[in-house]
Amino acid sequence: MSQKNSNKDNGVSRREFLKIGGAVAAGLQVGAVAGAGLAAGKDPSSLTGWQHLGDNTQFVNRARLVAREMPIKKVGSQRRPEMWESPFGRQSLIMRDMMQYRRMLGSVNAGDERKDGLGSKPSLPEKETSPETTGAIQPDNKRMNFPPPEAFSEPMLTYYRDNPDHYELDRYRIEEIMPKRREDEAKYGDYYTLINAWSDSWETGERITEPPEESDFKIGRRRRIGKPVPFKSKTHAAELIKKVTHHFGASMVGITTIEPEWCYNYGLRGSSERGSYEVPKHWKYVIAFGVPHQWEQVNSNPSCGTSFDAYSRISIAARRLETFIKSLGYPARRHSPMDGYDLIAVPYLVKAGLGEQGRHGIVITPETGSNFRAAFVTTSLPMEIDQPIEFGVKEFCERCKICAEICPSGSISFAKNNEGMNTRGYRHWEINRTSCYNFWMQSMGGLGCRLCLIACPYSRKNNWVHRLTRNIDKADPTGLTTRGLTAMQKKLFEAPEAHEFLPPPDGHFANFREAPDWLQVRKYLDIDVIEPKAGDK
Amino acid sequence: MITDLVILAFVVGLLTVPVIIGMIEWFRHFKLRMTWWKWLLSAIWYLMLLFLVLAAFTFIGEGEPVAGWKLLGSSAVIIVILGAGLVRILLAGRENSQEE
Repeated sequence: MSQKNSNKDNGVSRREFLKIGGAVAAGLQVGAVAGAGLAAGKDPSSLTGWQHLGDNTQFVNRARLVAREMPIKKVGSQRRPEMWESPFGRQSLIMRDMMQYRRMLGSVNAGDERKDGLGSKPSLPEKETSPETTGAIQPDNKRMNFPPPEAFSEPMLTYYRDNPDHYELDRYRIEEIMPKRREDEAKYGDYYTLINAWSDSWETGERITEPPEESDFKIGRRRRIGKPVPFKSKTHAAELIKKVTHHFGASMVGITTIEPEWCYNYGLRGSSERGSYEVPKHWKYVIAFGVPHQWEQVNSNPSCGTSFDAYSRISIAARRLETFIKSLGYPARRHSPMDGYDLIAVPYLVKAGLGEQGRHGIVITPETGSNFRAAFVTTSLPMEIDQPIEFGVKEFCERCKICAEICPSGSISFAKNNEGMNTRGYRHWEINRTSCYNFWMQSMGGLGCRLCLIACPYSRKNNWVHRLTRNIDKADPTGLTTRGLTAMQKKLFEAPEAHEFLPPPDGHFANFREAPDWLQVRKYLDIDVIEPKAGDK
Repeated sequence: MITDLVILAFVVGLLTVPVIIGMIEWFRHFKLRMTWWKWLLSAIWYLMLLFLVLAAFTFIGEGEPVAGWKLLGSSAVIIVILGAGLVRILLAGRENSQEE
């Protein structure tokens, strides 16, 4: 009798059983792998938008990534940034001059021609005082005329003379965008009820009301800090500060020294002087730290996202850290999104080794990509400092350009590299902040945009597939992997076209991804809403 | 921490044993003369299949279903073409074809 027949059991031989069993096992294995993939994709620990406690979230060993040289290079003479260079900073100056201009026009209209209406500036050109243009200023603020460049007083007079493109963008925002925004809000505002409520709920600002010489040496309003507690060494101090900063809510933390050129040249918080100031002597070290945004809402930018969740978290961490350092007897001052900054964020984040600056002007970290919001504490507490790192962002950004392609306001440069850029004596990626700000005013929901932040290929979940691709890319000096991955990103991960993010009729307030269900107004609220559609009048 | 991912990875590992035994029986069934490099090619093809399924479903799991299905669709074509090539290579060394 053959072995084949002897192995038969109820009509199925052992071999048949193994063959069928093997095929079934292969099918099950493919299914289990698919399930494992789903589980890996959904794994909460891969959500970079979650608030993390403990230092295990800063999982990249930066000692292996120390940069050969400081990535932000000095070119020519350096100077501190002025208030009016930022579109936010010059808002108050613009409003001041607009009010003055309006008053003067009112006087002209009333036949009371004031020669001193705009100080010592040249008189207004004839066209600006003609009935056609002055008639455009309505008491109901629906339409506001932006003064001609020469009608501004210093420092805006010089600034607009040197930056006529910014004058034009500011004029466009005041005269065109803002009236349209009011119309859009009246029509579509209810559709964004939930994201607005979500965004507002993170408002946790607490103003600093005294100058550094006072506030940095007090806990609360009255209690003076005590005698400085000595540390065993700078290394011990840095280690402790990093541990507690993580426990206070920061996902990442680095330490560096103060650079006066990276402190603003105006509006020191708590000071009655609004102009230039000496950087306080006790600001010797800068502790830089940050958190990512909540994942689902950051994916639904620009109109169903907000900056304030991360702003709020990191500002609270900053307050805790400031108090901790003061309690040890060292002066400290927080610089955070909700409480304000006296210094510029990006260069300190780079110098403290938290990440590299990207084409979009913000910092990309190895852990959370561009999904990162920062705060700082300046102090005299001596600590061991960190070094800048490089992990391939420079080369990647030179080739990728996805952020520039998706930017609805065209504010991000398509330049091959940042070689020709010079901002206050430093070479680094620079964006057009005025046109960027103009789009903020065009979008709905929680003020701002953040598209470049979420479209960045580094801003992915922290799961195996994205870690693997980043590591392969980092190891390839030819750039072929970058090209391949960028092409795959564009083909596989679809996103709306840049114009779709604009208000109707050009766009429809598109979002990078659909808003999560908890931000869907129609699911939870009993209100009538108009969903924006392309072509709406 | 034992997550769904850990359990599924354990299941995938366990299933590897019957899959290999089953492959041996199927190769015998088709009277294929398997050499070490044919085993290697077969393993690479199978691992590639598993890898692409894993990657595609990771995308789906992380909320990028379009990317996941696109990857699965495009990789299925490549897997089928490579699989057909692999079958031709394996069949070229069949015992009965050499006996003829």
